Amino acid sequence: MLDKIKSNFNTQTWVLIPIAIAINLVVGQIVLTLKLPVFLDSIGTVLVAVLCGPWAGALTGALSNTIAGIALDPGWFPWWPVAAMIGYMAGRMAEWGFFKSWWKVVVTGFVIALTAVIVSTPIAVYLFGGITASGSSFITAYLLQTGQGIWQAVASTSFITEPVDKITTAMLAFAIILGLPKRTVGGYPKAANAEAEGADRNQLYIAIGVVVLLVLFAAFLLRNILGG
Amino acid sequence: MHERLSFYIKRDSVIHRLNPLTKLVLVFAFIGVAFTFPWYWMSLSLFLFVLIPLAFVAKVSREYFFTATRLILPAAGFLFLMQALFQPIGEEIIFQFYFLDATRESLAFAFTIAARIIVMISAFTLLLLTTHPSELMSDLTRRGLPGQFAYVIISTLQILPQMQAKAQTIIAAQRSRGLDTESTFLKRAGSVLPLVGPLVFGSLVEVEERAIAIEARGFTSKKEKTSLHEVPDTVTDKTIRWVLIILIILSISLNLWL
Repeated sequence: MLDKIKSNFNTQTWVLIPIAIAINLVVGQIVLTLKLPVFLDSIGTVLVAVLCGPWAGALTGALSNTIAGIALDPGWFPWWPVAAMIGYMAGRMAEWGFFKSWWKVVVTGFVIALTAVIVSTPIAVYLFGGITASGSSFITAYLLQTGQGIWQAVASTSFITEPVDKITTAMLAFAIILGLPKRTVGGYPKAANAEAEGADRNQLYIAIGVVVLLVLFAAFLLRNILGG
Repeated sequence: MHERLSFYIKRDSVIHRLNPLTKLVLVFAFIGVAFTFPWYWMSLSLFLFVLIPLAFVAKVSREYFFTATRLILPAAGFLFLMQALFQPIGEEIIFQFYFLDATRESLAFAFTIAARIIVMISAFTLLLLTTHPSELMSDLTRRGLPGQFAYVIISTLQILPQMQAKAQTIIAAQRSRGLDTESTFLKRAGSVLPLVGPLVFGSLVEVEERAIAIEARGFTSKKEKTSLHEVPDTVTDKTIRWVLIILIILSISLNLWL
């Protein structure tokens, strides 16, 4: 077990982690200024998880929230288990070979999203009574008003918002890894996990199509919930 | 976008001189007691009668109130409003606003949650205002935290403002080439890659060089390392820490017992 954890960390991992955390936060800010309905604040975490392994990914996620708490807004602190589990799951999926082509990356993104829903729901319920300070809480609040149970309301809210965000995150991370020179990727402990089986153009278009469909589906659900 | 990266204010006060670990334990004591102590007004009393006086003792009251009005109160106020209006509990309606209603129970619940969040964020703010991150890290490293963790936290705090500046440069450069970052949804979504790509690739290329540089300075060496700054740890610090730990245990056991 300890050896497995240690195998995730070499000097290059330790150097990559701070940069990955900065990528998480700065890309998050860029996306915020673009006013897009996603967060994209875990690209760095997924990168570390794929290149270095699940434990390094989990550490990056947890530290990312801690440092965002120190440097940007203390409201980030309570969500560190979510970020850590995102990193861990991304690393595990990559170890199982699910980070080698576009459609596999979409599957990985979906699994990460499910993980995020499962971990964030208890935190939102126990710490905030279901209503957090984020914008999507309006949906939760509406669902609560319509008489749904608190667990159901919180989980369905994040189920609407998470998949689009996490699949896009995974795809961006894959695009970045594809764009890096082989020599740069080779220095990381789990470089083999990211070896693409051939980046098929058609698969990329299908993957983008899936994301667009998911956006439409989420919008449809939202309209049904808020309009109904 | 050049925001102040660490909250730290250099002053000379009793709180500043405390050992960083003592202050960290203090933060967890605040959170532990606020969340578990079985008395309704506990969080508010902690905030009014302990946290605010501590801010004065630490001579950071002005900065503390600045952070509180800018960060903590808006977040807590929003949370309070949402909770009060949206929690579907209680019968006795006090206030109505279209289909939303605030009952006595939902107001009480909203107040509890908001007060706890205020205590939690305030305690962290106080720690960050009075403790320099590298002081905290070097003390924790001396107590056995692996040096790599300290490296990650300190170097992230250095890299973050550099990368924010780089992001601003990239945004300006791409806009001047005609990249659309403000109009329709599709155009904005399409501009993610041209903005994120250069930023990420530019930073990832540095990794190997940095790794060689710190390796040359004995980063992974197993030999015991010495520290340039000694962080004092007095008997008072140890006593305070034990008292705080007992308080946390007491609060949790009262919560379970009652």
